[in-house]
Order: sequence, then C-alpha cells, then structure tokens
Amino acid sequence: MNPRAMLGTVRRNATPQVIMSIVLIAMLCYLVLVPIIVMIQQTFTVHAMERFQIPGSRPGDFTTRHWERMFTGVDAMSFLYRPLMNTLIVSVSLSLLALLIGGTLAWLVVRTDMPMKKFISNLAIVPYIMPSWALALAWITLFKNRRVGGSLGLFEALTGVAPPNWVSFGMFPIIVTLALHYFPFGFMLIGGALRNIDSQLEESAELLGASRWQVLKRVVIPLVLPVVFSTFLLTFSRGLGTFGTPAFLGGPVRFTVLSTLLHANLVGQRPGMGYIVALVMIMFGVLVLYMDHKIIGVRRSFVTISGKSGMSGLVKLRALGRPVSVLVTVFLLCVTVIPLTVLAIETVMLIPGTYRLSNFSLHYWIGPVSHTIGLATGEPGILRNPAVMNALMNSVRLGLVVAVICGTLGMLVGYTVVRLRGTRFSRFLDQLSFMPYLMPSIAFGAIFLALFAVRRGPIPSLYGSFTLLVIACVVKYLPFSSRAGIGAMIQVGPELEEAAIMFGARWTKRMGRIIFPLQKSAFFSGLLLPFISAMRELSLVVLLVTPRTQTATAITMRFTDRGWYPYTNAIMLLIVVTILVTTFISRKLMKTDLAKGLGG
Amino acid sequence: MIRKILILATILSLVFATVVFAGGAPERTAPAPTVFDASDWDAVMAAAKAEGTVTVYAVTSRIHAAVEKFTEETGIQVEATRLSEVELIERVYREAQAGVNNVDLVLIEDLPAMKELLINPGVLVNFVPPNALENIPAQYHEPLVFAFVNRIIGFNTEKNARDPFTSIWDLTLPEYSGRVMVRDLAITGEHQNAFTELIRRSDELEADYQRRFGRALQKVEPNAGLELLRRLILNDIIIMTSDTRIAEAVGARGQADPPYGFFHVYSKFRDIERLNLALDFSQNVQPLLGYYYGIYIQLASQARNPNAAMALANFLLTQDGFRPWSNDVGIYSMSREIPHHPDDRPWEWWRERLWTYDPEFAAENRGVVLDTWLRYVQQ
Repeated sequence: MNPRAMLGTVRRNATPQVIMSIVLIAMLCYLVLVPIIVMIQQTFTVHAMERFQIPGSRPGDFTTRHWERMFTGVDAMSFLYRPLMNTLIVSVSLSLLALLIGGTLAWLVVRTDMPMKKFISNLAIVPYIMPSWALALAWITLFKNRRVGGSLGLFEALTGVAPPNWVSFGMFPIIVTLALHYFPFGFMLIGGALRNIDSQLEESAELLGASRWQVLKRVVIPLVLPVVFSTFLLTFSRGLGTFGTPAFLGGPVRFTVLSTLLHANLVGQRPGMGYIVALVMIMFGVLVLYMDHKIIGVRRSFVTISGKSGMSGLVKLRALGRPVSVLVTVFLLCVTVIPLTVLAIETVMLIPGTYRLSNFSLHYWIGPVSHTIGLATGEPGILRNPAVMNALMNSVRLGLVVAVICGTLGMLVGYTVVRLRGTRFSRFLDQLSFMPYLMPSIAFGAIFLALFAVRRGPIPSLYGSFTLLVIACVVKYLPFSSRAGIGAMIQVGPELEEAAIMFGARWTKRMGRIIFPLQKSAFFSGLLLPFISAMRELSLVVLLVTPRTQTATAITMRFTDRGWYPYTNAIMLLIVVTILVTTFISRKLMKTDLAKGLGG
Repeated sequence: MIRKILILATILSLVFATVVFAGGAPERTAPAPTVFDASDWDAVMAAAKAEGTVTVYAVTSRIHAAVEKFTEETGIQVEATRLSEVELIERVYREAQAGVNNVDLVLIEDLPAMKELLINPGVLVNFVPPNALENIPAQYHEPLVFAFVNRIIGFNTEKNARDPFTSIWDLTLPEYSGRVMVRDLAITGEHQNAFTELIRRSDELEADYQRRFGRALQKVEPNAGLELLRRLILNDIIIMTSDTRIAEAVGARGQADPPYGFFHVYSKFRDIERLNLALDFSQNVQPLLGYYYGIYIQLASQARNPNAAMALANFLLTQDGFRPWSNDVGIYSMSREIPHHPDDRPWEWWRERLWTYDPEFAAENRGVVLDTWLRYVQQ
C-alpha cells in the first residue's frame, strides 16, 4: 500500500469513535496498565524484609516464592484459600442483597405512583455518603453482646436478651451493613436505566394481554439486565476490597477476609504477598466483567430509547401506596438517621461516652482553643479551625473536578465500548477502565506517586499538586461513570445518530444534541458516585496529599490517633452535609430527578 | 481495517507507556548526601532561618502542636503531615526512589522496617543535635530515640480486687477463654516485633511456665514464644482494631464478666478519670509486664533544608518541644531535662519490667510471627 492510499484509508476510518478509542486507550494504558505491570513485577521481587523468609536471597532478586507460598505452600489455606472463600461468600451475598434493596427502591420510585418519592429518592443515596464504618459502629452499638465487653448493647439493654455471636459479629453483620452501605449503587444505576425504558414496549406487552408481573419479568427485567450486572460488578468488587467493616465486625469472632490478608502483608512489610492478594481480587473482578460481556454479548440489541418516548402510566399501588411509602421511609430513616445520629451525638458530648444532658456542648464545633475543656485538645472547634475549613474546600473542589471529568470520560468510554461492541477492542477498553477500581488504594497511591513524582517524557512532575489527586481519583472512580455510561449507551440505538448523520450533523453536535440529552440522568448518576467517593477517599490520597492539598478526610488523621473522635465525627458529618447540599444544588441546576418521570 | 488500526494504536500506546515510564526513571547515581554540620550551632540557626519550609512526616499527630510552637519561637515555617507507620515508611521510601526529596525530618516507628528499608539504603540518617548530646544518654543515640511508648496488660478493677495474673501463661487458662482482647497482630507491626522478642527469650518464658504450673511446657510450636501465641489464639482470643476500644471495653464499669486487654498502650490510662474507668494494669505478671517500642527522630539524607531540619530536631527534644507529648502518661522522653508525668512511674521502673526487641532479630523473625498468627487465627 502506498503512503497516499494508506492516508486515505486512515482518513476514511478515522471516525470519532475510533479516534476517541485510540486516545482513551493511550491514556488508560499509561494510567492503568503501567501500575498493574508494576504490581505484577513486585510479586516476583524479593523485598528488604522478605529476604529473611527466602533463604539466600537479596533485596531486588527475582523470586517465585511469594506465589508458591500463597498458592501451594503449607500455609496456603490460611494465606489465601480460606479468606478467599469467606470473601466470595460475603461479596456475593452482599451484592445480591444490595441489588434487591436498590432495585426494589428504584422500581418503586421510578415506576410506581408511591407517595413521597422525592423525599425517598433523596434519602436513598445517603447510606453511601456516610462513611461505611458508621453503619458498622451503629450495628455494634445496637447488637453487640458481652463478648466485646464495655457497656451493654442497646438491644440487650432494652430486651434483656443477649444476641448470639453470629448476630453480633462476623459474616452476617458484615453482609448486612455493607449491603446497606452499597445499595445506593443499584438504586441510582437501575433507577437511571428504568427511566430510559420506552413505555411503548410495556404498553405493547400490556395490549397483548400480559399481566403486570409478566411485563416486569419479560420486558422490564431483561431490559435493565445490563445495568443489573454493572451494579453487581461494582458492589461485588467493593465487597472484595473493603477493609474497615470486616476487620471491625469480624475480628471479635476471628472472621478473616482477603482484605485483612492484604493489610496484614502490607503492615508486615511483605508487599510481594500483599500484591498477590490484590491481583487475586482484580482477577475476580475481571472474571465477573467477563461474565457480564458473555451474557450481554449474547443479547445483542437492548435498544430501548428510540427517539420518541414517553413515560408509561405508573404502576398504581392503590391502597398499598401509603403503607409501602411509609415502610420504605422507615427503612431508610433507620439506615441513615440512626447511624448519623450516633455520629452526631458523639460530637456534642463534652466527655465522650457520657450521655447526659449536662454533658451537652458545642465545644467541638465552635469552641475556642482550650487546654482545660472536655478532651483538653488545644484545638479550636472545627467550624473555626481554618485548616479543617480549608481542607473541606479542597475536598469539594476535588470532588467536583473529579466528577465532571469522570462523568464526561465515562460517557465517552460508554459510547466507544457500546458502538464497537463485540470487538475484542471494546472488551479491552472496558476491562482496562475497570481495573483501578479493584486495585488496593494504598498500592495504587504508591504507584501513582512513583509514576508522577518526576518528569517522565512529556509528562511533567506532578508531585504535591492538586492535579495528581485529580488524576488518581479520576482513574480510580472512572468505573462508576463508565459502567453508568455503558449501561446507558446500550439503550440508545444507532438509528438516532444515523438519522443525524444523514442530515450532516457533526459528531460534536450529535453528542451535544442527541446522546447527552437522552443520557442526562445516567450522566448524573455517573457524576454523583465519583463525587461522593472522591470527597470520602482517604487511603488513596493519603500518600499523595501535602499540607497544601490537604483534604477533609486526610485531616481527620490529626484526631483519630489520639481518640479525639468528636472532631473526626464532626468532620465526617460536615462531609455528609456538604455532599448532600452539593447534590441537591446540582440536581436543581441540571434538572435531573430520579423521582420525576421522563415525560413529566 | 478499523481493527488493524486499533490494534496498531494499542500496541503503539503500550510501547509509548513503557518507554515514558522506563525512560523517565531518575538516574540512580547515588546523589551526594546532604551534609549535616552542627559544629557551630549559631551558624546552623542562622542558616536555618534563611532556608525554606521544613517538611516533617510523623506517626504522631501531636507534631502539629509542637511545630506551631517552633514556628512561633524561630519564625521557621514547618509543614507537618501525620501518617500511619506503614504509610510513612511507604511514602518516604517511594519518594526517595523517585528522587523527590520532599521530606526533611521524620518521627518514625517500627525499628526493624525502618532499618531495613530506610536506614540501610541511606534514605534516612541519624543526627544527634546539641540538646540531645547534652541531655540524652548515649545508649539512646543510635538511632536517636524521640520517645518510648509502653504496652501493658489491662484488667477491670471492679471484677478483680487484686491483680489476677502472676504469669503471662495465666492468660492461656480455660477461665480466660474468650475473655482476652488484643489489637489485631496482622495490622500491628509493633506487636509482631514484640513477639519476636518472646521467641528470642523463649527460655525465660519456658522457665516461667515451670515456675507457675510446676511442670514442663509441652510445645507444639518450635519455641515457647510461638507456643504462647498459639495458646493465646486457641484460648478464643478476641481481635479488636483499636487500643482505645480495648481499654474502654476492659475498664467500663458495671460488667459481670469484663474482658482483659492484652498489650494495649498504657497511654489510655490518661482517660481513666474522665471516662470513669475501672482500669488497672497487671504488675505481677511474669516474666514481663508488657513491652515498649521507640519512636525515632531521623533526618532525610537528601534533606533540602538541612539546617532548619537540625534546628527542629533539636527543638523537639527540648522540654518545650516535647510538651505536647509530656502532658500525658504512657510516653517517655529519654532527656534528663524532661521529668516523667506526675501520675506515671519513672522510666527506670518501666524499663526493668518491660521487654523490648532486638531490631536485627525482629527483622529476621517477624515474618514467622505473622505466619503463625494467620495460621491459627483462622481455625
């Protein structure tokens, strides 16, 4: 082929999605693949503290011992297989439970005439906004038994019945509290997808005599299946990696999960084995992703948005409407207000743990610097602590920037993956964008530090910069938006765009006028989750922040090691409030509201 | 065709990524270390004021209060970051590898890891400022001790009018089954270090078993240290994630059957009055009441503000600099200038009764401790 002809071919084939994929691939290769390769390399390397368990080795040597010890060694059962089994059981159960809760709520809010929708849909994302340990803490406060000593659990104090160990600690409470924390994923993603379903499909089914249940089973559920899978994937992967809750609730009965092993190896300065644990987690995530492709790959056309669409008549709950809405509200209040109240009470008790009205004080919120009052911390109340306020501003900035970039990139990834669906390439892009989600934050942070600490080729040193925090969070949370994007794009048929192409609309115009408006709601979900996550992120940013780029979560480190929980809790509450307010404002601005029907 | 282009593009970007990543790696031609010359202290202080903002990473959050005071007195600006022990080591190590040289001074714990990862490769250097030369005994100079922290065995005084333990082996008796709490060894590097000392001094542990029960110890594990760990776990040990919660669970009043805290930090005793705890620690347990570990003060070998870093190191070891820590029990400066807390015992009292660990032996054996812990804890 002569150069001229080649140029012609390139030009003809250089459609926006092809160019976009190339750009996305190039970016993700550097930001995702390099860290993963570095991690794999580490699992074959002897580290300084590991050499003592590998006779005759020196730091930096090549070794396969880490893999042998993990998979076939005498301790393989306790190093890998048993915690892995525990983890899989927990992750699968919690994902199913979270799907059930999130899906039901989404359906109630989007497809029925249940009263109080707006309130419910605002409340339903709060569990994810709260720190995950808030629910674990609330659980222990309520249901602990005497095994862990201290004051009585509330349940036992009220009823005189001590909960058995399996209720108080271990697998059961871990599954329940994590499911209650992660169900907002399902609520938002499934809710977004449900809203996009063309009512004509359901109406046709009804005209043909299908019952409500049949419509649900034969039409609605298959249509939202891709998004159900995405939700499962996101929740499942989170379940694999979560450390705090399993450690806190599992420890008393010595229930160990994979993330415990990961931390044990990192604390023990055995990164080789630690990174193998991380790779196993990544592998399971990719496996679920592969299944997702297999299943969705078979059901090729999921086009549900065909241009004109209207909201179907909402399912009438009739007499059930009120009781259902009350039930849902009570449930949501229980999983949001109770833990938040527990947090809030801790911030207004001058002496922690002494719950008396005389002990009430706003000292930790607005008090002056004091070495005598309360915990005698010598710190100003957090609302007048400039360092805290500054850090909170940084967090908001970080959250917003990350959200906008993630949301946009996520839509583009979704567009590309869906338009090139079926090619190996699309799968590669999808998997690539998903991997960071499964990388342990501390490993990811450390590798990013190495990647960006110095100038590399055209990329300047970003050490200590805000940009570096943004890049790390964007890469880490892209999966939220790319899954939302894929789920949404899969519902948009190419016909709409083809029609626009016929009229000579350019790609930018097609995106701006057709794709984006149709996907506004999904786009918003794709924004919100990265926003919340970035605002709450700690372990990823802790290796990357400097005092100038301090974030609200990182600043809590100042208080936790001394047991100054009132400050930590107050900051967490402040973060929750900030997220809620920002969400509320942006919803108003973007005019997206899950509770509102497409047509109305 | 599209496929070909895409595949080509993918390969190209992979190559590009690798080249950029590998090509950008800084040359590791061991840069000349910063010179820390403290022979003329006035010159150091003068030079310090001309330098930039000092950066400190510390495992203790009280550093913020301390550096504020330092800035007030000297006008030298300080940026302090509090990190957990693992994060601190990781960050210093990675930054040094990348050649970033951000940090000037660290307050660091986990001596074996610090030696292996940061001191041996020359990332951190020991520096003894004039104040320490004068007031801190020479045995604490290498590496320079900032302070020691102690961990003890706590019990509830409502339930136990008298100290319930005479031997550490008592905790493995059936009557304490499911009643002993410990901060998860898997996430507590210092616990792992401390258990290496129990391995190293297995003979003493074995002798104490003989003394307490009048018969020889039957071991499943190769030594008495690991045997103790095994028996503790199999006696249904309760794993917690924080010493604060352990101390509160042990000391809370009104409990019929309170738990016992195995090796939680003594500093939680500062809360006894405020939280109205019935908490005390065992003083009769043989052969050790608990253990102590050091927080060390070290300079970065590539420090960009060497004089300011030296000035700050000197300040932190003075009475003024140490004040944020000396307000509480359970943390001990080695400086003769700084007296022990009035409610605490003098350091000499503790040192005789507590064990600490040998950094070399700990580095070699803590992997074995972690392995043993993980093996039994999951059965």
